[in-house]
Amino acid sequence: MGKRAFTVGVAGNPNVGKSVIFNALTGSRQHVGNWPGKTVERAEGVFHYQGWEIRMVDLPGTYSLAAQSPEEMIARDYIVSGVPDVVIDIVDATSLERNLNLTLQILELTDRVVIALNLMDEVERGGWKMDVEALEEALGVPVVPTVATEGKGLSELVEAIVEVAEGRQQTHPAAVNYGLTVEGYVETLEDDLARLRIDGRNRWVALKLLEDDPEIVEAFQQGNLEACCLNPDADTQSVLPETLHAILNRAVRLREGIRPDAKVEIVRRRFEFAHDLVHRVVHRLRPEEESLTERIDRIVTHKVWSWPIMLAMLTIVFWITVKGGEIGGGWLGAGFSWLIGAARAWLTSIQAPWWVTGALVDGFMMGTGTVIAAMLPPMIILFVAFALLEDLGLLPRLAFNLDRPMQALGSQGKQVITWGMSFGCNVTGVMASRIIENKKVRLASILTSPLIICSGSYGAGVALAIVLFGEGALLVMLSLVFLSLGAASLATLGLNKTIFRGEPGSFVLEMPPYRKPQFGQVIWRALVDRVALTMWRAVEFAAPATLLIWVLGNIPRGVPFEQTAIGWLVRGLAPLGQLWGLSGEMLTALLFTLPAKEIVMPALAMTYGLQTTLVESEQVLNYLPQVWTPLISYTFLVFFMFYLPCLVTVWATWKETRSLKWTLMGLVVPLVMAALITFVVYQGGRLLGF
Amino acid sequence: MLKAAYAQQETEGLLSIDGLARAVGLPEFLAEQGMEALLAFGWVEEDAQGGMHLTNEGKVRAQELIRVHRLWERYLVEREEMPLEAVHTEADRREHEITPEEAAKLDAELGHPAWDPHGDIIPDAGRRVPPPAGSPLAAYVPGDRLRILHVEDEPPALFAQLVAMGLKPGVEVEMVERQPGRLRVKVAGSSLPLAAAAAERIHAVPVPILPVPLSELPVGSLARVAEVKGSGKHQRRMLDMGLVPGAEVTVIRTAALGDPVEYHVKGTAIALRHTDTDNILVEEIRNG
Repeated sequence: MGKRAFTVGVAGNPNVGKSVIFNALTGSRQHVGNWPGKTVERAEGVFHYQGWEIRMVDLPGTYSLAAQSPEEMIARDYIVSGVPDVVIDIVDATSLERNLNLTLQILELTDRVVIALNLMDEVERGGWKMDVEALEEALGVPVVPTVATEGKGLSELVEAIVEVAEGRQQTHPAAVNYGLTVEGYVETLEDDLARLRIDGRNRWVALKLLEDDPEIVEAFQQGNLEACCLNPDADTQSVLPETLHAILNRAVRLREGIRPDAKVEIVRRRFEFAHDLVHRVVHRLRPEEESLTERIDRIVTHKVWSWPIMLAMLTIVFWITVKGGEIGGGWLGAGFSWLIGAARAWLTSIQAPWWVTGALVDGFMMGTGTVIAAMLPPMIILFVAFALLEDLGLLPRLAFNLDRPMQALGSQGKQVITWGMSFGCNVTGVMASRIIENKKVRLASILTSPLIICSGSYGAGVALAIVLFGEGALLVMLSLVFLSLGAASLATLGLNKTIFRGEPGSFVLEMPPYRKPQFGQVIWRALVDRVALTMWRAVEFAAPATLLIWVLGNIPRGVPFEQTAIGWLVRGLAPLGQLWGLSGEMLTALLFTLPAKEIVMPALAMTYGLQTTLVESEQVLNYLPQVWTPLISYTFLVFFMFYLPCLVTVWATWKETRSLKWTLMGLVVPLVMAALITFVVYQGGRLLGF
Repeated sequence: MLKAAYAQQETEGLLSIDGLARAVGLPEFLAEQGMEALLAFGWVEEDAQGGMHLTNEGKVRAQELIRVHRLWERYLVEREEMPLEAVHTEADRREHEITPEEAAKLDAELGHPAWDPHGDIIPDAGRRVPPPAGSPLAAYVPGDRLRILHVEDEPPALFAQLVAMGLKPGVEVEMVERQPGRLRVKVAGSSLPLAAAAAERIHAVPVPILPVPLSELPVGSLARVAEVKGSGKHQRRMLDMGLVPGAEVTVIRTAALGDPVEYHVKGTAIALRHTDTDNILVEEIRNG
């Protein structure tokens, strides 16, 4: 190659500004994928500095390298693999002691470490003084103070990385003193391990053996140290399994000698080291005063006041979403009408054949325009609102208050947040699930979010309900909202009792201080990362789908409705829905509704043979009440609300899980719930004589 | 009188008129008459050096009186539901109107109680009366958390006042402040001033700091982690969050529905559920 390049792994606790630093350094040159075989996101990026090509790999945020979760395993294995030439450890300077637990573990694995001491502005605001030089001296690796959100210290950070990578900066990583007993045992094991020539990792492996680390112990049992502990730079020889078993047996015996418990003692000593270090380098400049966070939290998590506050917050967000959706949708709709009119006029003027005009204008443009006008405005508002709430630090408080009821469903408070977002748009709900660290809960959130009625289907549902039930529409819709919450809860409980059964993980919710959102940055990222991407996908799905629908309804031309493809579909699907009281027309219309729930009315108009394009019309409003009984109407509404998520939601599910299995489950769960609920409603209604 | 003499002999070894007078709250001349009566009964004798002490017969009688007195007190509180501050006087009257056989019946009826309502041991028939356990309140320093073992029931007025303040055997108090002649204790959340003379009459022992689950601490408490139970992932997660033995934890607030609870540990705010904090045993430093 001849090109000078090296790789940097970015490690750190969750919520320390890791992604801010990663994004600031790599900009838009990022590639997002998954870690091999894991549903954990892996982001990579490249940037250039002083003739170096620096490849950065963002490691999952972890509190430790204990290999107790997929995230910890990934971070640890990556550092152990020796692939990164340098590891940046991003540390939250406001809670140095807790963060050092990870730092000290990284220093046991590699000496090529640079520490970014982030959130230094908050340290100063909080009335603390930090002696960075003393910290650097004690840890033995470069420590660079940063304020990532303002870009401060980043160039110094890059400079330090390059110095370490080039070997210009010598490092002497700090070693924790684990006390006489443990250190004695470590020495004993190190002597044994020296024969294995794992070079430079002896101390770390010895400690892990004493800690009863599951991964290392298994590697010793199986006689294969390749993946877990070998230093790739070391000159390795093959070892006999008997040797490894002998070492393991010795470690097990030694472990018994550490009281009260080897694992507890080792972590305790590490924190003690961190505690003493923090005591030496952090000094209080002025007495502690009650923080703003404390004052806000007293209200926001108040036993009584928290409820109206949470409700008001959600109401405001949704009110803006609905209002903004109406207004923005109106503008966009008008814009598309004008565009469609112009296109039609132009096509007529050049005497294009009927099917070109039909497919392009009535199919493609009309359909796509409807979908964009319906989805774009609420999506922008919701994504931005969510990003701001997240940046502000309010989401953990919501999760804190709502955790108790979710425990009963085997879940966590954060799942309610994704449901809340789903009321606006299922896509935001699915994407919001990434705030949940626990994999099972995250998947349950993704799978159940589509059961929540989104503002799109709610809007379409209201229009239908007014036609079908008149005055009773509001009551009908209210019942559907409760039904939807019930269905989501039931599905969560069901999932946690079946495929997610097993030991629930410990629940740790960090309550970070409130921070002033970086408005410009947050809004920009929400628009670029989320809205633009999502909208592009929506168009990608909607365009071919609406084109196909037009083709189905209009080819061959001039035949009676029964002989169009739609007519065939209606007759073909008819037997499927009998048990649920759903006709072929309804099922076909629901198929057409997959690109976006908002187009259900024109879809019904098409499947009942009233019109041949997906355009809003009065006709269907008069027609439906004549052919649907109240029970059928209600049954259809129930099924419509739950049956399947829109295609964009399916795409979002794929994007968040990167797994075909879970994407399919994202279809199965709502379909099963819809079938169950609709069956009960329809058959129950019939039994009651409706 | 005989009981006071017994107490004095147990603590000082010898009897003196002025000591007795102070203990019973009588003028010295009346105490002298009382002493003469004790000598006449043969309960007290004068030895060669002129020191006065109880005869064996006197000791046995005193022990019996104390035992019956305490039994009556117990009876009065338990069966007649008499207020604690009134039982002493009544028991003083009744202790003389009872035969040893009746005393044994009373003892049996009460289920052979070990303690009287003031926290004093009820000795078995014919046994020595042990001195009050623990040390006077004044012997402790601010910050100590104590359990009251015994409150002197003499003089009755002072005793009644202490009881009214909530200073009863079994109650836990915290020493807040100690100055010459006066100290301040915290009882059931309120801080009370106490004269040194009164504090001398209250005996207490330090509350043994028993580790309790973190989940049981009220908001505002400060505690030190003693043990992290559980195994595997759960234990490891708690340890890695900084909940290691020796770490200090502050209970900040409970969620609107009582669970989870927010804690400060190692400079970070984290919320944990009861199911996890049940496994973390802590020693209380300060109760909320």
